[in-house]
Amino acid sequence: MTGALKELCAVQNPDGGWPYHRSSSWTEPTVFALLALASEGELYSPPVANALKWLKANQKPDGGFAPKRLVEESTWVTALVLLLPNDMLAQLDGVRALNWLLSKTGRELDWVQRLRAAMMSGRIQQNGPEGWPWFPDTAAWVAPTAFAILALRKARKHDARTEIRERIQQGQEFLMSRVCQDGGWNHGSTKALGYESASYPETTGLALLALGDLPANRVLRCLDRAEQHLQFCRSAEAASWLRLGLLAHRRPLGTAAVAAKHPASVPELVLSSIVRQAIGGNGIFEA
Amino acid sequence: MQSPHTLTRRNLLAGASVVLAGSSCARRIAPARATVSILRQSAYDQTVYDAVRRLLIAHRVNIRGKRVVLKPNLVEFDSATTINTHPLLVHAALEAFRSLDAAEVRIAEGPGHRRITMDLAEAAGYFQTVPSFDGLFTDLNLDEITPVRLQRPVSKLRTVYFPNTVLGCDLLVSMPKMKTHHWVGATLSMKNLFGLLPGGVYGWPKNVLHWAGINESIVDLHAQFPNTFAIVDGIEGMEGNGPIQGTPKHAGVLVAGYNLPAVDATCCRIMGIDPAKIDYLRMSAGTEALTESSILQAAETFRSVRIDFQLLPDFQSLRLGTV
Repeated sequence: MTGALKELCAVQNPDGGWPYHRSSSWTEPTVFALLALASEGELYSPPVANALKWLKANQKPDGGFAPKRLVEESTWVTALVLLLPNDMLAQLDGVRALNWLLSKTGRELDWVQRLRAAMMSGRIQQNGPEGWPWFPDTAAWVAPTAFAILALRKARKHDARTEIRERIQQGQEFLMSRVCQDGGWNHGSTKALGYESASYPETTGLALLALGDLPANRVLRCLDRAEQHLQFCRSAEAASWLRLGLLAHRRPLGTAAVAAKHPASVPELVLSSIVRQAIGGNGIFEA
Repeated sequence: MQSPHTLTRRNLLAGASVVLAGSSCARRIAPARATVSILRQSAYDQTVYDAVRRLLIAHRVNIRGKRVVLKPNLVEFDSATTINTHPLLVHAALEAFRSLDAAEVRIAEGPGHRRITMDLAEAAGYFQTVPSFDGLFTDLNLDEITPVRLQRPVSKLRTVYFPNTVLGCDLLVSMPKMKTHHWVGATLSMKNLFGLLPGGVYGWPKNVLHWAGINESIVDLHAQFPNTFAIVDGIEGMEGNGPIQGTPKHAGVLVAGYNLPAVDATCCRIMGIDPAKIDYLRMSAGTEALTESSILQAAETFRSVRIDFQLLPDFQSLRLGTV
C-alpha cells in the first residue's frame, strides 16, 4: 500500500466508512476512498472489506443508497456506488442499485407551474430530456445526471439492456440542454428570469467527463470554456474535475498545479490521484 | 448628509432601555412590540466592529457561557457584485459575541449552489478577513445531522434533516445580505435560513424546498428556529435580479433584532418594498405584526434611511408607497 493510501486509511472511521473531513461516515467519501484503493489493486484488504460492510448496511430496501446511515431516502449517491469495480459491487446488491437508478428521473413542472414560469420568464419551458435528481421527487440537475451517466456507461459493459443505452443518451441530451451561454455548466440553471447564468469550473469538468463519448464537434466550445476555467481555477477539487473532463476529450492539460488553501476533503484527495492515473492512461471513468 | 436621528452611543443605549427582547435566547420575554434597530454604517471599515457590539448591547443580548452560531449568506462569488454577507461584518459579530463572553462562537453556512464550500468562502474573502476561519467554520452541507419532525408545517415538508451544529446552539444569528429576490421579492434574515438544510442530503440546490413551497418552507424553517437573532448586512445590498445576478446597491445600514419578521419587514421598508406584499412575511407573522405601529424602531427610522431598490418589472407591485 502506498503512502497516500496509508494516509487515506488512517482517516477511515471505525465503522468502516469515510468522512468528508473528520466526522462520521458518508457514502460519497467512502466510495471515493474505495475507488482510490481499487485503483492500486486493493480489492480485498481489511479496509476495503470494512468499507463494503458499511456500504452494504447502507443499502435501502428499494435498492438505492442513502448519503448517510440515518437518512431514510435513497439518493444520487447510488450512482457513485455503481462506479465501484465489479469485484466490490459483487458484495453489494448492484443489480437492485442499478434498477433503482434507472427508475429515477427528475420531477418536472406540471402545467400550472409551467404557465407561471412562462409568465415570469417570458418563455415556455417544454419538458426536455430526462436527467437525474439529487433527492427523490425533485428536479434533475447537472451533477447527479453526470454521475448517473458515468454509472450507466460502466454498467452497459455487462448489461445490454436498451433502457441503459437510452437513459445514457437522454442524460447526455439533458446535459447539452443545460449548457450555459459561456459554454460551461453550473448546477443546472442556465437562465434566471431571462438573465444568462455563468458556469462553474467543477460542474463544467464533471459534465464534460460524462460527455466523453460524444463527437468532439458537439462540445468544442465547452472544451474551450473548460480550458479557460482551468487557467484561472483556484480550487484544487474543481481543477481535478476540469482535468478529467478535458482528458476524456483528449485535450492537452496545463501543467500548473492548484494548491489547496485548506485541508482537503477525502473526495478531493482521491480525485487528484484519479487525475494522475488518468494522465497515465488508466482512467477509471472511461466510457 | 446625516439624519437628525444619527446614532450615538448614548442614544442607542437609551434606545436599549425600551428593548424588551431578551436576555438569553432561551428565556426571552416576548416583546409587546418587536424592536428593530437600524444603524447607519457607510462602509466596511473598522467602525463596523463597534457598531455590531452596540447593536448587541442595545438588544441586551446576554450570551454569557452560551454557544452562538453565526449564519452568513454565502451563495456564489462574483467580484463584480455583492452576493454574499461581507466577511468583515461576520468577523465583527464574532468578536462582539466573544466580548460578551459567549462560550463558543462558530460561523456556519450550507451554500445552495456550489459544492466546494471552502473554495467559495476563500473566494468571498473569509479566510483573508477572519483569522483561523478554517477552525471556526462548519460546512452545514456536510455536518452531522438529526431528523426533525416539524410541528404543524405549512409547507409540504414533514421531517427535515438539520445540522447538529445549528440544533445544538443556544443562539442562531441570521446574517443575510439585503437583497431583492426574483422569486419571493426580498431575501433577508428568514430566507437566509434555507442555508441550514444539508446539501449532503438534499443536494445543490436544495430543490426539495422549492417543491415544498418556497414561501411556506421559509415560514416552517423560521418556526423551527425561534431562538434567532438577525443582523442584516445592508451596507452594500443588491437590487434588480437578486439574489445573484442583481446589481450592487449602497444602502449604508445595519438592521438587527430578535423578531425576524419585524427585522425583515423593516428591511423591506428601507428597500422601498411593502412588507405586507411579501408572502412569507404575511404568512409567518400576519399583516398586523408587519405594520409600522407594531415595530418599535431604535436608532434610525426607516424613513431616514429609505433608499428604493430597483425591482424587476414583475415585482413593481411590491413597491411601498410614499409614506
